[in-house]
Amino acid sequence: MPIKSLIHDMRSRSSRAVHDGSAAAAAAAAEEAAARAAAEADCLSRSCWANMPQELLREVLVKIEASEGSWPSRKSVVACAGVCRSWRHLVKEIVKVPEVSGILTFPISVKQPGPRESLLQCFIKRNRSNQTYHLYVGLTNALSDDGKFLLAARKCRRPTCTDYVISLHADDVSKGSCTYVGKLRSNFLGTKFTISDGQPPHPGAKMPKSRSTRLVSSKQVSPRAPAGNYPVAHISYELNVLGSRGPRRMHCTMDAIPASAIEAGGVAPTQTELPLSSVEFFPSLPFFRTKSNRVESVSSGPLGSQKDGALVLRNKAPRWHEQLQCWCLNFHGRVTVASVKNFQLVASPENEPAGPQHEKIILQFGKVGKDLFTMDYRYPISAFQAFAICLSSFDTKIACE
Amino acid sequence: MSSSPPPSSAAASPSCPKKMIALRSSDGETFEIEEAAALQSKTLENMIDEDCAGTPIPLPNVTGKILAKVVEFCSKHAEPGVDDESLRAWDAEFVNVEQATVFDYILAANFLEIPTLLNLTCNVVADMIRGKTPDEIRKFFNIKSIFSPEEEEEVRRENHWAFE
Repeated sequence: MPIKSLIHDMRSRSSRAVHDGSAAAAAAAAEEAAARAAAEADCLSRSCWANMPQELLREVLVKIEASEGSWPSRKSVVACAGVCRSWRHLVKEIVKVPEVSGILTFPISVKQPGPRESLLQCFIKRNRSNQTYHLYVGLTNALSDDGKFLLAARKCRRPTCTDYVISLHADDVSKGSCTYVGKLRSNFLGTKFTISDGQPPHPGAKMPKSRSTRLVSSKQVSPRAPAGNYPVAHISYELNVLGSRGPRRMHCTMDAIPASAIEAGGVAPTQTELPLSSVEFFPSLPFFRTKSNRVESVSSGPLGSQKDGALVLRNKAPRWHEQLQCWCLNFHGRVTVASVKNFQLVASPENEPAGPQHEKIILQFGKVGKDLFTMDYRYPISAFQAFAICLSSFDTKIACE
Repeated sequence: MSSSPPPSSAAASPSCPKKMIALRSSDGETFEIEEAAALQSKTLENMIDEDCAGTPIPLPNVTGKILAKVVEFCSKHAEPGVDDESLRAWDAEFVNVEQATVFDYILAANFLEIPTLLNLTCNVVADMIRGKTPDEIRKFFNIKSIFSPEEEEEVRRENHWAFE
């Protein structure tokens, strides 16, 4: 029976019920049934795309993901993930993590380890007037300032330290915002830094106790709960034997990444979701069960002490070029202006014999223009960690004239 | 195997004895397609191999209107001596139709397992999607999105960042 006549039939039946003086409930039920049938008719006359078989939808989405491999067109992949649940589920299945694909897709990509096979080329723009820094991923291999925005950082000077607040939003860079990702904090002298993640770097991560944390009862849910504060790396700068005439020494302990990550078959922790502002954070409750092994104790001990199994990065020592009378590192064309801030970080074989995995450059940073710097990073660190390490290079006063 | 004589058919002419396969659409229309063209469809290929290609093959999932076009597509792609460029141009014209028709082509190509047609129509759909925001995609395809508030927030944040 055609839907339209079915509706008409039901409507006339319901009106008859009212005239008969039958219970209002019967009329209401008939009305409800009529409304449902009307909605059904509406659906049938709509386009059929909403009911496209999953395997065909998947074919289409696979094509889009494969063809839009670089920004800005990659935003189509993100758009597809925002259409409806079934599309979202498929896209998240199809998109691979940057470690494997070498491509950044969703915001969480900046928190995930970089590509294993090659350096991901990014650049940082400094804005001196408002003390902000913006990180972009390059659109091409060419050395240009054309990129896709990744993260922003804003410097906040405090009496005893300096904070760089890092956010996913180019303009809204505050700790209370839902786009807050983490921060870099320097000590008073600008010689030691801590990178903090706004969300746990891995299950079982603990936050250090601090004066500013409050006990929140399990029933309370603050509308804008403060973000977490998980130290994930410690950086220190020292003069080398030549004092301020020589390049400084950098020492980064990546507390959240095990040293085994760079060995064959090694893995680095990979976050899969960004926290939402509505999620409650309980800063000081011992909520996380401590898991054995690896890096669950993330208190800021004296720097230089080896955290059990944490990955340590050191800067590659430049060589003195007698003719040019300067320190040189081979940046493979990615750095064009000499600066004490320029560096290359490699994994340091702290307690083991050196191997080829200690030759690979994991992070490279350097000046190419007045307020323009390149930042190239790879597995096992993420864009966020790389960005924070580079910010420390801006901030430290060690070996600066 | 000895070569079978071509079945007597009104369409086959003596000077050009090509083997014809008969197809019947869901609404009872009958179409004839050359075997070479029919082989573009894996579904039909299987049936031909199993020798069930004697009587009109019923295709309950495809209407006459669409089956006519599918036959046209397969015949064109089985034609010898067509250069890539003209075929591409012909394909572009072929899918230059209403959305709903493209949808029908996809379903038919999927049911009949015609890789060339499936690839072509999926590309058309992908083109419809590329460059659009989630809202525009939903409007275009008439899709209802039922996200939880948490998912909504996630989607909003992702798209703000991606379209920055």
